[in-house]
Amino acid sequence: MRRVLVTGLGAVSPFGAGVKTYWAGLAAGTCAIRPLSLIDATGFRCRIAAEVPDVGAGSARRSRADRLALGAAAEALEDAGLGAADRASAALVVGAVGGGMLEAESWYWARARGERLPRWAASLRAMLPAAHAEALAHRLRLGGPRHTVVTACSSGAVALAEAAELIADGVVDIAVAGGVDAVTRMCFMGFNALKLLDPEPCRPFDRDRRGMSIGEGAAFVVLEAAEHARARGVRPHAELAGHGTTTDAYHVTAPQPEGEGMARAMRAALVAGGVAPDAIGYVNAHGTATPQNDRIEARAIAQVFGAGRPLVSSTKSMIGHTMAAAGSLEAVATILALTHETIPPTATLLTPDPEVEFDCVPRVARELAVEHAISNSFGFGGQNITLLFRRA
Amino acid sequence: MPQLQRREVVITGVGVVNAAIVGASPALGAWLREPRPAARSGAGGARPAVRLPEATLAGLIDPDEARRLARVCQLTIAAARFAVAEAGLDPAAGLGLVVGSELGDFTSTIAFADGYLARGPAGLSPLLFPNTVMNTMAATTAIAVAARELTLTLNVPTVAGELAIARATAAVASGRADAVLAGGVDELDPLVAEMLDALGDDGVRGEGATFLVLEAERVARARGARVLGRIAGAAWRSLPARPWGVGRHVASRAIAEALAQAGRQAPDWLYVSASGDATRDAWESRVLSAALGSRRVPSVSLAALIGHHAGLGALHVAAAAWTARVGLLPAIGGGAERVAGGGLVHGLGRGGGHVAVMVEAA
Repeated sequence: MRRVLVTGLGAVSPFGAGVKTYWAGLAAGTCAIRPLSLIDATGFRCRIAAEVPDVGAGSARRSRADRLALGAAAEALEDAGLGAADRASAALVVGAVGGGMLEAESWYWARARGERLPRWAASLRAMLPAAHAEALAHRLRLGGPRHTVVTACSSGAVALAEAAELIADGVVDIAVAGGVDAVTRMCFMGFNALKLLDPEPCRPFDRDRRGMSIGEGAAFVVLEAAEHARARGVRPHAELAGHGTTTDAYHVTAPQPEGEGMARAMRAALVAGGVAPDAIGYVNAHGTATPQNDRIEARAIAQVFGAGRPLVSSTKSMIGHTMAAAGSLEAVATILALTHETIPPTATLLTPDPEVEFDCVPRVARELAVEHAISNSFGFGGQNITLLFRRA
Repeated sequence: MPQLQRREVVITGVGVVNAAIVGASPALGAWLREPRPAARSGAGGARPAVRLPEATLAGLIDPDEARRLARVCQLTIAAARFAVAEAGLDPAAGLGLVVGSELGDFTSTIAFADGYLARGPAGLSPLLFPNTVMNTMAATTAIAVAARELTLTLNVPTVAGELAIARATAAVASGRADAVLAGGVDELDPLVAEMLDALGDDGVRGEGATFLVLEAERVARARGARVLGRIAGAAWRSLPARPWGVGRHVASRAIAEALAQAGRQAPDWLYVSASGDATRDAWESRVLSAALGSRRVPSVSLAALIGHHAGLGALHVAAAAWTARVGLLPAIGGGAERVAGGGLVHGLGRGGGHVAVMVEAA
């Protein structure tokens, strides 16, 4: 197996475009969850979300999600300093769920109401999750193996794992991987229907938490074989040292109550990376702020690491649950925590839940140098993944 | 570039549910000996399409279970169970799952939206919402067959089934999994068909599911499994194209890689993704001509008989294993051509998704 390094980072988050902007928001503990503007929330108990303030450059004919993805992936490629030849053979793996659904919904809503239909063929063409990968490959000239993974809320992290395997197995030297999702009516309405949204900004690991907040964004990384990066003289951000992927096979929406599948994913990542549990200094938790998830995830972390350590935080407290982008945005947050020697906080945590036996870094970021950190992502269908990063 | 030592990957189970074939590999083999087109009906957009009769599916899924499952999930589970049963596999030993789908569960997605449009927030169904996420087929099938390892849903135009097989093959060949259930599924929804019409896809549409159990040969032989065929090589790459478009490039790295893994210069016969989508089919022909040169290689696509859907690619792989075993390549219009050796399953999708799977007798 070849070592896999992270040599490029890109993010478009609810703080705005760019990795620097993203880290500044996380390190400051800024909550970017605000009143919804993209869709009509009339009649819903929850009317807030973490929207990206400026989607940035790119044709307005593209879907919002495509534009988010293009911004993040282009930044990652520029950060890695990849030329045309490397791009032409680079793999592309995208984690996606909503696709261009926001625009397709506009078309369907208009159709249902007998209104004039907006740009329907363009909306439909961009609707499926795979549309992002096609747009990225075409626009950024990425010509290697390409696939789109849909594992619900863990999609972005699974994309990184998929790309890492292509490099580790010697299929490619370079891969671009990440996740993207825009706010959509379907997602917002669905989590409302499941009564999983907090009308106030979400409070992961708080005793009084009442559910999650929806978010949107995109994050992409450039992964590269260690020897290839060395030959190019590139200084990596971190090593993606291992990952563990499991399935609960328990319930379509609820996690297995003991966190068995989650714990199995964390253990598998440690084994893959050859790292002992006590070497992990930080866990970027899935931490959705639903009563069920946070309790079960804390239980699973305790099974693997023992109660009380390592530090655990949820960056969803600041950017909400960005769905298919969550796993990759949180992976980037974890890498930045390693490089900046600072643990991002659980910014909205006021009253720690006594059932969560960890220091969840309430409200304020903490300076701490750690060698290894993991990022957990869990999706509908019990689709669990843990990514293990090592400081470069 | 150094590549890992590749483990041999074999097929030990097949499950097919579509308008023409229902069952495991014996049902598939019986149909392939005398392939007949399935009946076409409405609900395919502007043109007739091949739709699975409701009575067929009702006979495959217990009514209590069916009440909890979307139709496309029922299709997936029915085919998956045929495959796992034929393999005689104990999922407790570790089973992964890779589902390819082009369209997911649009029927539930549309119903969920219609609930809101009719009654506002009160019309939203919490039971329908999980089905709007494309991994719903994988989620329900993982529970149904107790697949607790890697579970993936892959989305790509045209070649989702082929891609699922290639991705699962990589998992087994690399040693990350000993057994993976992999295949594709789609269902026809009238509105989706209308959309595809608008996008210019003029292929023959169908619906259904095909799943295969892929195992490490050493593990399968050790447990005494019946081996139905070998995946001698599998690769996915891409060719440049605009989103949903048809490209001009014809130099195929996917075919070259799949052949190299199999230690071959060329396949002896072909299953191709040609579905009647004229511009896409023409591109695929050019790509195959560039890869195979002037060599005459007999080829077939089953799309015209059962309609294109994401299960078709996996069905082609299962059919290729049958062809490798019995030496017959089905011919459209009945009968079969005698062939020998190993065959290539080829898929090229709109947008440039490109898959090649080399299949041999084991």
